Amino acid sequence: MPGRYAHLWFIGPALFLMFAILILPILIAFGLSFTDYGLGNGQANFVGIDNYTAILNKRSFAKMFGATFRYVLVVAPVSVGLGLGAALLLNSLGRIGEIYKTIYFLPVMAALIAMAIVWELALHPEIGVVNRFLSTGCGSPLELWPWYAKGCADGFPFWLTDKRYAIWTVAFIGIWQAFGFNMVLYLAGLTSVPRELYHAAEMDGATSGWERFRLVTWPALGPTTVFVVTITLIRSFQVFDTIEAFYPTGGGPSKSVYVMMFAIYEKGIQQNLLGLGAALTMVFLGFVMLLTIAQRWLVERRVHYS
Amino acid sequence: MTDTTASSSSPVFRFSAAETTKHVVLIAGAVIVLLPFYVMISFAMKSPAEIMQQTGGFFGSQAPFVDHYCSKLGNPESACMVNPIAYNFTQAFTKAPLLRYLLNGVIVTGSIFVIQVAVAVPAAYALAKLRFWGREAVFGLVLFGLLIPVHAIALPIYVMLAKLGLTNSYAALIIPWTISVFGIFLMRQFFMTVPDDLIDAARMDGMSEFSIIWKVMLPTAIPALLAFAIFSVVAHWNDYFWPRIVITGTRDLFTPPLGLREFKGDIDGNNYGPMMASALVIVTPLIVAFLIAQRRFIEGITLSGMK
Repeated sequence: MPGRYAHLWFIGPALFLMFAILILPILIAFGLSFTDYGLGNGQANFVGIDNYTAILNKRSFAKMFGATFRYVLVVAPVSVGLGLGAALLLNSLGRIGEIYKTIYFLPVMAALIAMAIVWELALHPEIGVVNRFLSTGCGSPLELWPWYAKGCADGFPFWLTDKRYAIWTVAFIGIWQAFGFNMVLYLAGLTSVPRELYHAAEMDGATSGWERFRLVTWPALGPTTVFVVTITLIRSFQVFDTIEAFYPTGGGPSKSVYVMMFAIYEKGIQQNLLGLGAALTMVFLGFVMLLTIAQRWLVERRVHYS
Repeated sequence: MTDTTASSSSPVFRFSAAETTKHVVLIAGAVIVLLPFYVMISFAMKSPAEIMQQTGGFFGSQAPFVDHYCSKLGNPESACMVNPIAYNFTQAFTKAPLLRYLLNGVIVTGSIFVIQVAVAVPAAYALAKLRFWGREAVFGLVLFGLLIPVHAIALPIYVMLAKLGLTNSYAALIIPWTISVFGIFLMRQFFMTVPDDLIDAARMDGMSEFSIIWKVMLPTAIPALLAFAIFSVVAHWNDYFWPRIVITGTRDLFTPPLGLREFKGDIDGNNYGPMMASALVIVTPLIVAFLIAQRRFIEGITLSGMK
């Protein structure tokens, strides 16, 4: 017979670990965020909300929010859009589309840190294939495009070290890495769209591809979209590998790529300003939890309505 | 009706035009996606001179070249001729203890997965099939846990580990990942679908709750477990952020991503080839596994989409 307390043995370890690894750290971060604590500094002094006001007022943190939001607001919509586009194209192709699916999914599997280092070589101003490829277009009508002509005349950009390009280049790599993941989620979503709906829509006069997409596919993919958007937002908020690989210290040219995860790492780990790092952690956590709660709310609402 | 038959006979032409456009778009995408893989493989096969001068095409000429380090040691040049591929890969394995890194990667990802399962499966069983006081509260905690990405609270976890004197150890690499609320959630959902009769029958046969979990429940959940295994292994093999934080000293504890990062740190121009060879070695196991068992991998990685 099952012991009356068997469940304690089963739940106990999980409960303990959830408390120790998920709950306790949040409490610790909350506590530390009001101090000037550093490892090995002996005691911590209470500094009130100084760390939070520093985050709001210091220029470097203004740059941090700028870089983070720029990155997130580019990577999330573009990688979701490309993921959806690729899924729709592949879905209409049938079996031959499988090969593209395999290729597009490769970046999801490859260690991002490794691929970041490869991208750095590919974008290298002297030995990189990207700029060499661009320069083969010189002399062609492409030069009518002023940007291109300028590149041909003065050399193409230093993608990663020029502050005008750095954040967008890093965002491009983020999109490169993320869209295949979104694509397979959308492909899964597409298989669950009932066929009859298309017939019904056609009966009602929705004959063009766009009409069918607008009236049937898009609404039917609603739950998938809610999920894909949230998970992409949360993941792009957490970007770190590429940035640390390209800019081990300082957050890139004029701090233009100084994203939140990197700021937490720099303040908390590199500079041992744990109080400040903890405050950043709390702000970060606030963003992430807000996103997930918004997602759940959207999902629930849909469930109730249907 | 006649309208539709008309349009279904003409598509032969229009269809192929549309089809071609689709392929052009998709191939352009594929070229961009594959570009860094191309660079990685190509550089891993080329000599330093070919990399710097951008010659040799994809494969490089494979002409032997002089290893400068070897000739600096006073050896005659003829004894220092090396083949580029051999040079790049031997350098990758000898300049840094790459094998050790790979082994660490296996130890860490393996331990994480085993502990996650050992913790999550019994909890999931209890949440799905046992009635006890506080069950809803525990499940609520699991749902709350799903809100928190561990990377986001890395800093306070790091402080805790540092206070316990555990940084720079395997324990530090493994402990934060021992609890997977996602694993609990997933297994619970799966166990909910197992009929109660199966469990009652097992109890009648005198099986303990413990063996019911591992001998009755777990075998029914193999597909979910496999998907979870892939999810977990891929995430932790590729993880860079957490090892970067807790491993600061000895190379002996480096995981593959950390090792590669260090390789990059002390690079001079001559080492792009070996560095790309290391990158290739680190990326290849998962890519190959993915190509072999594609469907399973996609299922596993997108698992979090099935909430």
